[in-house]
Amino acid sequence: MPIESAGPTLSDFLENIELFRDALGSGAVAGATLGALGVYVLLRNLVFLSAALSQAAGLGVAASYWFGAASPALLGWLSPSLGAAALTLCAVLLFTLPRGPAQDHHHDAHQDGLLGVVFLVGAGGTLALGTRIVADIADIETLLFGSAVAVLAEDRATLIATGATLLGLHAWLWRGFAAVSVDADGARVRGLPVRALDLLLFASLALGVSVVTRILGALPAFAFSVLPAMAAVRIVRNLRQALVVAAALGATGATLGYLAAFLYELPVGASQTLVSAALLALAAGLERLGVQHRHRH
Amino acid sequence: MSARERLLAAEKLVVGYHDHGILPGIDFDLAPGDCWALIGRNGGGKSSLMRTLLGLQPAVYGRVARRAALRIAYVPQRSHFDLSVPARVFDFVGGGLDTGWRFLRPWTTRAERARVGRALELTDAVALAREPFSALSEGQKQRVLIARALVSDPELLVLDEPTSAMDPMNEAAVFALLSQLCLREPAAMSVLLASHQMSFLPDYASHALLVDKDLGIAMAGAQAEVFCSSAFERIYGRSPGRLQEAVRAD
Repeated sequence: MPIESAGPTLSDFLENIELFRDALGSGAVAGATLGALGVYVLLRNLVFLSAALSQAAGLGVAASYWFGAASPALLGWLSPSLGAAALTLCAVLLFTLPRGPAQDHHHDAHQDGLLGVVFLVGAGGTLALGTRIVADIADIETLLFGSAVAVLAEDRATLIATGATLLGLHAWLWRGFAAVSVDADGARVRGLPVRALDLLLFASLALGVSVVTRILGALPAFAFSVLPAMAAVRIVRNLRQALVVAAALGATGATLGYLAAFLYELPVGASQTLVSAALLALAAGLERLGVQHRHRH
Repeated sequence: MSARERLLAAEKLVVGYHDHGILPGIDFDLAPGDCWALIGRNGGGKSSLMRTLLGLQPAVYGRVARRAALRIAYVPQRSHFDLSVPARVFDFVGGGLDTGWRFLRPWTTRAERARVGRALELTDAVALAREPFSALSEGQKQRVLIARALVSDPELLVLDEPTSAMDPMNEAAVFALLSQLCLREPAAMSVLLASHQMSFLPDYASHALLVDKDLGIAMAGAQAEVFCSSAFERIYGRSPGRLQEAVRAD
């Protein structure tokens, strides 16, 4: 009777860790960066922002290949990463355009509508241009939405440089970003440069989402920019702690997700998403315990 | 030019949207120690006037003149704040410290923490310092919001319906606090508050702004002058004394 071979084990993983080091490190940096930035996504009620931006990034990648095919001279200059960053930045600018005072009353509906438009134009445009790109469909998928399984050394370097820049920027300017996200009118009255801070905050989100989407994929990019922040705000006492804890939870979700994908032979992006969701459930449980403890005392 | 020292003045000010005025032009000036009540029916133009005075909305005509480097703090309605944002009262009040380009320094200094402590003392909220803002009662939240505004040491405090959805005891406490701030020595603070509380306003406000876009009314002046005007009776149907008696009887 044939004996079924056992699945991969933790010791297999540790023995071959050299093979996974780049993907593990990249995931952790992406999780930490988008985890911290996700706190502002949550504060501004823009949970689907990164989903919409990742579609815009996909359109940027597809557009750069399409233009490259139409004019080969452009291909060297117009890289997929540049295309992704440019289109994501354009999309994000829509959210920072000043609105008329009358529209302030319909703020949420206006932003929801914009999210839908960006998502649909991004997805529709990517599909339409995808049919014009002459390449294998699997290659296009990877070009458009990355792969968290194996990460090239140059992509890892790009992710680390982007993550370090964005985390440094947010560690420095967090008071300003928090002020305009919690109470924009109050910040404007107190003389803060609200528009400049908004632009910088959204540009940093665009850069983070486009780079992570391009290298690791749309699903983990969306998951890292929502779930760790949702978990963090449940268990911390202030915004500064939320930024730090969300970064830590993002990195943890990415690393444990990669490990779980190896052990249980799951798709990496899906596994990282589910582990991040499990961390959110854990945080919700801790929050509940904390509330009960406070009521008892 | 008025003989009074002016912090802020509206000059032939017309407020509205997209170049369309919703209220008649209005002139008034606000001096140190003044307590102005902004009154009128819901949807009558109070918020538009307040936002224009704060510089959050452009004027359709005329202008708002401010004394150079005037420090203004704005207290929006309590519902303006998302309660899912994690914040202890101390941190929430500390958020009011960020004025101008001060946010470029990511840490809070000892002097800033002391200012937060003083603002909490002034609003009798020291005991709440470590509590989550979201867990406070409505009255406590309003005191904390005022502390957040006071921490930037403003010369003019602007409040949007600070006592809405509050019980009468807490309402009285908020009005007493605002009155105390207006009379504070040596640096009296000016207050401009939008409110519907006719049971308290005649006792606390020194001046009033009365607006109603449907009736085309925009009137500013000393409290007695506005509250005893025919415009007031047109909007509210009776004099403030009667109104006050009716509210207290309820």
